[in-house]
Amino acid sequence: METSSSDTPSHLLLAFLHSQSQTALTRLYQRPSACLSIFRLLGPLERQIVMNLLWLESVIPAATMAAWVPQDSRQAYEHSLSILSRLHLLPRSAAKLALNSTLKTGLRHAIVGGGSSGSFGVPANSDESHPPPSVETLDAYALERWETILHYMVSSGTGRSPTKPSQAVLVLLQRSGLMASVHGGALQITSLGFQFLLHPPHAQLWELLLQYLRMVEERQMDLVEVLSFLFMLSTMELGREYSVEHLSATQTAMLEDLRDYGIIWQRKTSPTRFCPTRLATTLTSSSPPLPTAAGVTSSSQAQGFIILETNYRLYAYTDNPLQTAVLNLFVSLKSRFPNLVVGAITRESVKKALANGITADQIISYLTTHAHPQMRKNKPLLPVTVQDQIRLWELEKNRMKSQEGYLYTAFASQADYEYVLHYAKQLGVVLWESSPRRCFFGTLEGHPNIRGFIERRTAGHA
Amino acid sequence: MDKPSHLSIVLDLSPKQWHLAAQPGSPHPITLATFLSHLLAFLNAHIACKDENSLAIFGALPGKSILLYSSAAPVDDGDTEPADANTYRPFKLMDSIIMKSITREIDALGEPETEEPIGFVGALTKALCYINRVTTSNTTSGDRGVDPATLPDPRILIISVSPDQSSSYISVMNSIFSAQKLASFDLFYQKVTIDVCKIFGAESVFLQQAAHLTGGSYIDVDRPDALLQYLMMSFLAPPGLRQLITVPTQDKIDFRAACFCHKNIVDIAFICSVCLSIFCSPVPVCSTCRTKFPIKTLQRLNASRPNTTPGTPRPPTPANSLPRSTSIAPQSLPRSTSIVPQSLPRNASNGASTLR
Amino acid sequence: MKAIRGVLLTCDSAVKQILLTMNEKQSFIIEDLDDHHLVIKADEEWRVKRELEAELEKNTYSLE
Repeated sequence: METSSSDTPSHLLLAFLHSQSQTALTRLYQRPSACLSIFRLLGPLERQIVMNLLWLESVIPAATMAAWVPQDSRQAYEHSLSILSRLHLLPRSAAKLALNSTLKTGLRHAIVGGGSSGSFGVPANSDESHPPPSVETLDAYALERWETILHYMVSSGTGRSPTKPSQAVLVLLQRSGLMASVHGGALQITSLGFQFLLHPPHAQLWELLLQYLRMVEERQMDLVEVLSFLFMLSTMELGREYSVEHLSATQTAMLEDLRDYGIIWQRKTSPTRFCPTRLATTLTSSSPPLPTAAGVTSSSQAQGFIILETNYRLYAYTDNPLQTAVLNLFVSLKSRFPNLVVGAITRESVKKALANGITADQIISYLTTHAHPQMRKNKPLLPVTVQDQIRLWELEKNRMKSQEGYLYTAFASQADYEYVLHYAKQLGVVLWESSPRRCFFGTLEGHPNIRGFIERRTAGHA
Repeated sequence: MDKPSHLSIVLDLSPKQWHLAAQPGSPHPITLATFLSHLLAFLNAHIACKDENSLAIFGALPGKSILLYSSAAPVDDGDTEPADANTYRPFKLMDSIIMKSITREIDALGEPETEEPIGFVGALTKALCYINRVTTSNTTSGDRGVDPATLPDPRILIISVSPDQSSSYISVMNSIFSAQKLASFDLFYQKVTIDVCKIFGAESVFLQQAAHLTGGSYIDVDRPDALLQYLMMSFLAPPGLRQLITVPTQDKIDFRAACFCHKNIVDIAFICSVCLSIFCSPVPVCSTCRTKFPIKTLQRLNASRPNTTPGTPRPPTPANSLPRSTSIAPQSLPRSTSIVPQSLPRNASNGASTLR
Repeated sequence: MKAIRGVLLTCDSAVKQILLTMNEKQSFIIEDLDDHHLVIKADEEWRVKRELEAELEKNTYSLE
């Protein structure tokens, strides 16, 4: 419910779709798989509104629908309507409610079947000599690909050189600002990248895909084709092979990119068929997109592995090098056992993380989401002392703030001072002012303007 | 948070009632096949809302009840449908499994001369047990605790075509109270919501009470052609969402109870002052708690009965055949040693307060 | 009227006192504005930051 009452739509992608034209969205809604996927990304209230309208043949007065909404949830309801209308699912006019007819047809086809759009992917004919890969193979592949990317990010700048992901992935990482090349040298992780590492896998995946979508136009690809292929993937079945024959040229070109991210799997010898991995099939659900990390059972993986004690000691039940590396961002690791890493959260380790641009809130939220089931019995989940201390360390870092600029002083008269100050304030460049001392401090950016202003004024006086 | 939701359906599959429902002479004719096509669309919509939503269907058949479909069960590869590019495969698989099991069960019934009463209570109880399992799984088995936020929000939808079986009054009421008390450790909800969709047949007293007591909605479908719209508007929203967009509820509820001795639905009854058991006529010994009542009181009560039929109490049912159910009679009564006639509330306006 | 290029430091008064002490050893402050603000020479900014960091570090204690 919180999702529908907040100001942002329930999913990152919806915000992106809001910025698309009606024509593009209508083309997208022609595919039942896209309708179903977008429907799933909506918040609960939006979904119910769509479902209430989906089976009606005629328009209904908006008041009829609003009658079902109690007074105190009006705001949430209006908010949902506005999300839907920005997606061009509902008309903007307030008097009548009816679903976009393209979406109506598409979503009905998705739910009761029918149509001939082929939008759920054409399965490949079974090939006796090459049986489709097992789910385990796909999971291992997706995990390996995805962790290669993350591992590359986390260990850039540490001197170690892990396997490099493909060039296309590197470009994507660079364009999304997660990594940057310093003085034309090797790519280094940015503070945005450090923050990215602490996000849940689902959010990470969508962040990269959104960047991919933003780059689509300059690569002269058709955005609708790209989106509908992603949605097609999200409705495909794990462990089944699909044929590339019916894909458009754009979509065929995407295969290679998506293979690099671990979203699809292809046999080198048979490029005519592909398999979606779990990363693809969970795009529109909230189940974990990444399978078990090597050696860790799925349940504990999904449920978290970190135990944090009040004495700042941290025990992480994992042997996954990536998780260890991520922990190493803000924990000083002491000892490592086959399935256990022991460390402590110290002032130094947290300061290092803060220096990398990671915020205290991100550390706390990472610890919370990955807390071991044992920890879930605690209320609050993390020891309060540790949480507070992490926040205090963050405050400590900000004891001094520095801003470059110019100090304007020694004004001839109070009127002079106020005249210039008034101008500087209009520009919004004043950082500090003192009327009794007749001086103020302005930013570097404001200086040329202020200097010009004073010069003009002096010239006028002369 | 946007929690997954679990839906258990109790599907009344009485062949006789469905046959009657399909007759052109019935008030709103609808065939089982038409109904099932609407139901499947509704079920697909439920799963479409969220990939993690789960579903279980329990069939109430003559003399038995059976689990027809569970989304938790692994898909049997033997009966896979050929995949095609125009349908979302999970829907297709689910629909075909449901249809197959319903057909199998109905075929297995044969054509007996007389139809046994349907196993409605069995199906309802199984649905409750199932919900208990999915909502509390892993919490009792030691340290593998699950984050309560990931557990599904459960509800039950009863699809009914049969009339009330008054003999099952006690078990139905006990199921309702179980649903109310099936609290998860998560305090956000205290009960399992029971929704009722009455497709055919007379208003059901028990099911009205079931929906009312668990905060569900009771819908008597009088336009079978619009069945799908009924289902979507009233039953698709999980209970949490119904605060934001309300669903239709019944305005009138029949609160009458059935007596313990003859299972008749009664307007006026005699309540045991010790255990609150309900009887349609005064009895010398309460069959539930074995309290003995003075013979004088019996005579006085018999004399004061509204109808004039002679008051020889029929032999009460042996006590051990009755479930011990002190919780089933929610009426509050002044404590006295005699059985007093108690007028039972007939409608929501005066009934709601006594029942809560 | 004149404009002096510099860096505005915003800090709490404890940090300001440390900075004033540091200034006695090697001068870098252009103007002491008020309890929470100082203007220092732009090219000294990094050295001052480093030294302040070291000074503050002396006041923290760790178990290890």
